[in-house]
Amino acid sequence: MSTRKSEMNAMIQDQGLRTLSYAEAIREAMAMAMEADPTVILMGEDIGVYGGAFQVTLDLVDRFGTDRVMDTPISELGGAGVAVGAALTGLKPIFEFQFSDFAMLAMEQIVNQAAKLRYMLGGEASVPVVFRMPSGSGTGAAAQHSQSIEAWFGHVPGLKVLQPSTPEDAKGMLLAALADPDPVMIFEHKLLYKMKGHVPEGSYLTPIGKALVRRTGTDITIVAGSIMLHRALEAAEKLTADGISAEVIDLRSIRPIDHETIRASVRKTGRLMVVYEGVKAFGVGAEISAMVAESDAFDFLDAPILRLGAADAPVPYNPDLERASVPQVDTILTAARRLARREV
Amino acid sequence: MNKPDNRPFAIRTYAPEVLREALKRMYLIRRFEEGAEDSYTRGLIHGTMHLSIGQEASAMATCIELSDDDKITSTHRGHGHCIAKGADVGRMFAEFFGKETGYCHGRGGSMHIADVKTGNLGANGIVGGGLPIAVGSALSAKRLGKSDVTICFFGDGANNEGAFHEALNMASVWKLPVIFVCENNGYGMSTSVARSTSVSHIADRAVAYSMPGVTVDGNDFSAVAEAVHTAIARARAGDGPSLVENLTYRWRGHSKSDRNRYRSKEEIEDWMTRDPIARFQSELIAHGVLDDHGANAIAAAAVAEMEAGIKFAKAGPAPSLAEVTRYVYAEV
Amino acid sequence: MPVEVILPKVDMDMTHGTVAVWHVAPGDAVTKGTPLFDIETDKAAMEVEAPASGRLHAVTARPGDKVAVGTVVALIYAEGEVVVELATVIAAAPASPDPRDKPAAVPLAALAPVQFAAPATQETNGLLRATPAARAAARQAGVMLADVDGTGPQGRIQREDVAAYADRQSAPAHMPDSPAVWSAQPGPLHVSHRKGSGVPLVLLHGFTADSQSWAPLEKALGSDRRLIRIDLPGHGRSPRRKLRSFADLARMMVEAFDEATKAYDEVHVLGHSLGGALALAVADIRARNVAGLSLIAPAGLGPEIDATALTGIIRATRAESLAPWLRCLTARPEGISDEYSRAAMKLRRDPALRTFQAEMAEVLFPDGVQAFDLRPALSRLQCQTTLIWGRSDHILPWRQALNVSGDFALHLLRDAGHVPQIECPDRVARIVLRGMVAASTG
Repeated sequence: MSTRKSEMNAMIQDQGLRTLSYAEAIREAMAMAMEADPTVILMGEDIGVYGGAFQVTLDLVDRFGTDRVMDTPISELGGAGVAVGAALTGLKPIFEFQFSDFAMLAMEQIVNQAAKLRYMLGGEASVPVVFRMPSGSGTGAAAQHSQSIEAWFGHVPGLKVLQPSTPEDAKGMLLAALADPDPVMIFEHKLLYKMKGHVPEGSYLTPIGKALVRRTGTDITIVAGSIMLHRALEAAEKLTADGISAEVIDLRSIRPIDHETIRASVRKTGRLMVVYEGVKAFGVGAEISAMVAESDAFDFLDAPILRLGAADAPVPYNPDLERASVPQVDTILTAARRLARREV
Repeated sequence: MNKPDNRPFAIRTYAPEVLREALKRMYLIRRFEEGAEDSYTRGLIHGTMHLSIGQEASAMATCIELSDDDKITSTHRGHGHCIAKGADVGRMFAEFFGKETGYCHGRGGSMHIADVKTGNLGANGIVGGGLPIAVGSALSAKRLGKSDVTICFFGDGANNEGAFHEALNMASVWKLPVIFVCENNGYGMSTSVARSTSVSHIADRAVAYSMPGVTVDGNDFSAVAEAVHTAIARARAGDGPSLVENLTYRWRGHSKSDRNRYRSKEEIEDWMTRDPIARFQSELIAHGVLDDHGANAIAAAAVAEMEAGIKFAKAGPAPSLAEVTRYVYAEV
Repeated sequence: MPVEVILPKVDMDMTHGTVAVWHVAPGDAVTKGTPLFDIETDKAAMEVEAPASGRLHAVTARPGDKVAVGTVVALIYAEGEVVVELATVIAAAPASPDPRDKPAAVPLAALAPVQFAAPATQETNGLLRATPAARAAARQAGVMLADVDGTGPQGRIQREDVAAYADRQSAPAHMPDSPAVWSAQPGPLHVSHRKGSGVPLVLLHGFTADSQSWAPLEKALGSDRRLIRIDLPGHGRSPRRKLRSFADLARMMVEAFDEATKAYDEVHVLGHSLGGALALAVADIRARNVAGLSLIAPAGLGPEIDATALTGIIRATRAESLAPWLRCLTARPEGISDEYSRAAMKLRRDPALRTFQAEMAEVLFPDGVQAFDLRPALSRLQCQTTLIWGRSDHILPWRQALNVSGDFALHLLRDAGHVPQIECPDRVARIVLRGMVAASTG
């Protein structure tokens, strides 16, 4: 049974390593990529002197100029399409949606064009575009600025969909996305932007499609990503007081999804819980549950699979409602106890 | 004092062999479309198709001075653009027949036909889908310091899509080397331009985006070539985008399911008397670029190329069913 | 060459069309573009025009005929051209391969849905509630799920239930030839934990029972109570350890208690019958660790015991002979069904277990007398202590409780026999929980 605290915090405390915020890590990755490769450009609404709605691009316009840090008009469809066209013809654009919710204005270009062009053209074309997607609830911005729609894109062959949970991964995933010849969407949780953590110097790539066991355990498996990983880790820590040993897997990549890491854990614990911020129905948890049920890990299940996702409602405004609408540490804790104690 | 050259623009601008090749490609487009139609009626092609018979001058005159480095984005009615840009009709037929030897290895079909190597970024099944992509392609050229231009073909229907307005605005704001070529054939499926569009000429939209807009007879090879030539020069000079509207007509229905209930037989027959191929051929003969014998030889060569293309396509292998997910992602 | 008139494909998903009517008769002159015939598809009717001018011949499709797309239905001959039969024309034409020729037969592994080997269902699993892991374990161990008792929610059989069952099944296999003798087994007493919160409750079962017998009371106690169950030697999953006296047994129990509760500062102990006597002994020896004590019909408070019933239970080899003695345990004999007896016998079918327990009875209850006295221990107790006794207990009479002086509460339950924790678990649970609350506040 592991009694470790979150790996990342332990590392920082023990070794005094360099720390950056999640937003700083993303910015460092973008700056490094732009310095190394003149074809990398940034596009988005108010990413220039304003610095981006969440101050992620911040001062990059001063370093790289308006030709490479391009404020687009408020034209999500057109802007995304320009990024797709540029990617098709030799540039590597990083396109920031101000809020991931606004990507719905650009679904045509993301889903019909970016995702399908390689296939439609029989492998003769490549669209190496990166879409940055600030997402998630907890900011009081209500129904149209707080959604977690990553699962939507998990349904689209041709896209890659990532969800970094730490500053280290935020940097490594952005660099990996830029190195990838296909369109990659990175869902960045707005509440994580200020989170500090160790970020290695220099260039490194976080592998796309690989989940990571952040905490080992023997009684139950909790799969979570993005901010839910941190809530799951906190819950897992509290579960030790109940004598429950939880294994916590950071999903990291929704498409492609790392089946084997999840299955291996389920084969060990026999109990699976998936925690995600998107609406529970038809979400990431449905895919993971079904994948486990279809696999050889089925025979190792010793309890029903639990999904914890958002309420079947738009994200509400009232802070208590907003908090209650998505999984929190206490809800994860309660569900994990029930699962571990064979009560479900 | 030099005598003013009153010959049509194309005749006085392009070399005779270039003009003869253009006529040959126009014939090839016509014969290709007929061959595709015939193959379709025989059940050799599945899905549907959008034929561009009657619009050959618009495709060919627009592309006449493009190199393989220049890009085009195309539409669902894109066979003609593909051929005008230099594609091989054998591989196009192979694609229509769903063969592994087709341009898209049987994954795209008629609606996504493209020869990427000749600068064609793809026909598009979404009305207006190619407009922002063309702007992005022009952005690449500008950012990478290339002199390439991008031609963005779109139909009259697309001018009422949001993507059209967003794309033209951004191209203008950033002064990008892109030429928006509207092939106005009068109908977005069954709904006429008059019933769907608030301006009488789609080129009038250009004013809203501070770019030149010109409407020309799209069945007049020289008129189209001149308008596009001017726009390309402006783009290459770094002065930004232009909008060219080619008024033309499709002889066939919108697609193979069209029952032609929205236009009269008289209207269709009237447009058929303005056959762009016949007009261009007469012009070439009138100005001594070609004689009757040469014209017949060109027409016959187009037939032979079309027939050879179908033969090539029929002989090609089908894709392996096990490779249904191939080309979704880059192969590493 | 004549021009072929084909049945054209006029719709995306069209494979066939029906010829509705011919507008032109064979031999008639036609001009290109004049209507030749109408076709009907699933969706629409449509006119087919003449592809060339000439005379119509060789009409093969009559009105009403359903014809495949691309089929030649007639020929148009130029004026003066020699008319030949259609069959001849077709035979002379080079066979054109279907361009959409059938793809090579490839294994569809990449496309096929995930398939599993059909599970070898020896048993009728359909109506049993069991987890996939339990089913897999049962298949592997050759166990019939129907024989396994589920301890999960709604009686769901879980992996550990199958394991426990398989363990019990394999135990007699060690001594197949000498069923009536037993040999001493090493190792500590078996302890099982139920996860939960708060001060743990240690459960010590009675003679001839095992920890599974607590199930009704566990349910009544609520699911968040942390439980520690200890099996007596030679009972449940504990090894058969040699013992010469009650003191031997108490030492073993204290040893197991120490190990099982080492993570906790204090616990509450609940014992039934012989387990009650052991609970008293543990509380006496480990007074600091026992915050409270609940005793259900504890042994050791007087000499009398119904040795006949005890011997009957120990000796029974069949459900039929066990049932009458089981009925002596309760105030409501009708509550002991045949199924209950069969299930109880299933747990006792190992002859070595029966022999061991018979010898144990000889040590603890020689000549039908309780040979150990815990009244002094009960008098000494400082902790919160509760006695629960059925008024109709035929095994150990409740009046023995009156033999002791001490500060304990005595709850006498009407309509209960020797096993109130099974007969009326809710009432017993209420009393136990009240005692635990009193222990924690006192």
